[in-house]
Amino acid sequence: MIEFKDVRLSYNGHTVLDGISFTVRFHDKIAIIGASGVGKTTILKLIVGLERPDDGKILINGQDITRLSESQLRDPRMNFSIVFQEGALFDSLDVQENVAFCLRERGILSEEDIEKKVKELLRRVDIEQAIKLMPEELSGGMQRRVAIARSLAACDPGPRMMLYDEPTTGIDPITADNICALINELSSGVPPDRTGLIIVTHDVVNAAKVAERFLYLKEGRIAFDGDLPALKSAEDHDLRRFIKGILTPAGERET
Amino acid sequence: MRPRELVIELQNFYVLSFKSLLGVFRRPFYLRDTIEQMDYAGAGSFFIVFLVSLFIGMALTLQISKELSSLGLNMYAGRIVGISIIREIGPVAIAFSYAGRMGSGMTSELGSMVLGHQVDMLRVFGTDPVKKLVTPRVVSSTIMLPALTVIGDAISLAGGYYIATFVVHQSGSFYWSQIRGILNFQNIFPGLVKPFLFGYLIACISCYTGLTTRGGARGLRRATTAAVVLSTVTVIAADFVLTRALIFLL
Repeated sequence: MIEFKDVRLSYNGHTVLDGISFTVRFHDKIAIIGASGVGKTTILKLIVGLERPDDGKILINGQDITRLSESQLRDPRMNFSIVFQEGALFDSLDVQENVAFCLRERGILSEEDIEKKVKELLRRVDIEQAIKLMPEELSGGMQRRVAIARSLAACDPGPRMMLYDEPTTGIDPITADNICALINELSSGVPPDRTGLIIVTHDVVNAAKVAERFLYLKEGRIAFDGDLPALKSAEDHDLRRFIKGILTPAGERET
Repeated sequence: MRPRELVIELQNFYVLSFKSLLGVFRRPFYLRDTIEQMDYAGAGSFFIVFLVSLFIGMALTLQISKELSSLGLNMYAGRIVGISIIREIGPVAIAFSYAGRMGSGMTSELGSMVLGHQVDMLRVFGTDPVKKLVTPRVVSSTIMLPALTVIGDAISLAGGYYIATFVVHQSGSFYWSQIRGILNFQNIFPGLVKPFLFGYLIACISCYTGLTTRGGARGLRRATTAAVVLSTVTVIAADFVLTRALIFLL
């Protein structure tokens, strides 16, 4: 379980998060939505301990991670796989080496087993054909797929929760749809056994395809927390403008 | 920058510099990354070192010969050129070239990794970015800069020989006998010790500024400029301190 308790964070005097509190179970499917720069990605970074809050607590399975050292963060981080915007692939390594990175770092598997595992993961995300390509040779959608495969390789036996940072931003609608299908496939199953997900995005239409609960961030605070029907019937003016894409009937959107 | 921020920056820099050294003695060892860096720093820098050294050697010999000939002492040109190159100008000039080529490269590479969340990914995967990224660069710089300096010194002296023989019309064998005369411990040792320290400092400064890059493309430009400027000033300051210490000790 992830618990944020009155988390506050500022950069250079600018308040990003102003007392955020929420609780998420590992099998939940959450979308954190909001305009650019409201601190959505920061929340993901706080969950995996890449940032530290100025104040407040972040509990992962009851353990406060806000003051843990890098080595102490290793175990809490094993619960998560994170996919950053545009993949964050290591640009000096090809696709195979990117996905194999964690497996090699751990030093448990033989080279033969690593190769098998990499191929299996790339097949799972349907990008086996790109195994020898360099990151700059991949399209945006392909980079996201490779990043997902690499993140899956990082957690053994598998992550309890996937964290996605803008997974559909900057790619065409068909590729975005395919990415959403992959995200849903990786988080399929019945709670509490399924792999949960947190997706941070301003693409509400695609967020609605994968998430069951929505948190709307506004001015450093959570202005809305609820499911899709509640989101659609929310009365906040800014929120309604933000989710206009899912309020318009699908047929009208297509025309 | 406020005094408190400066102190914190310095503290973080010292911690990174120290951790980069510790990384040499602790597993995992990134041998492949280190060899890649050495290849890029050594073989990749040879051409610029060749040009810089050759022209410095030739220009210095021209200047010194001209001054000495007005005093009727131009037979000492080889001796003065040799001492200047080996003890002082060679190590500093090659370090400047290295900071311009390798230092700026390290900063921009690590900076773009920071901005592209690649360093964040390393941390999430449980890989220490200092061990993986900084230690190989520090090790390769500390080894390759002295090697480049020795090569550069030889090229400078060869350039000096060309000027002394074909422009100033001295005896070539006399020039080399003058050079051989100054190849003793007092002259060679300072010239060899300095590049080790310069290589270490340039790599630490460049990696630190790279890993602390913030603010997109503009931030990357600022970081790269800062790395080269800081490296250059630090090399000059370290050269003075080391020269003073070595003169005292030797």
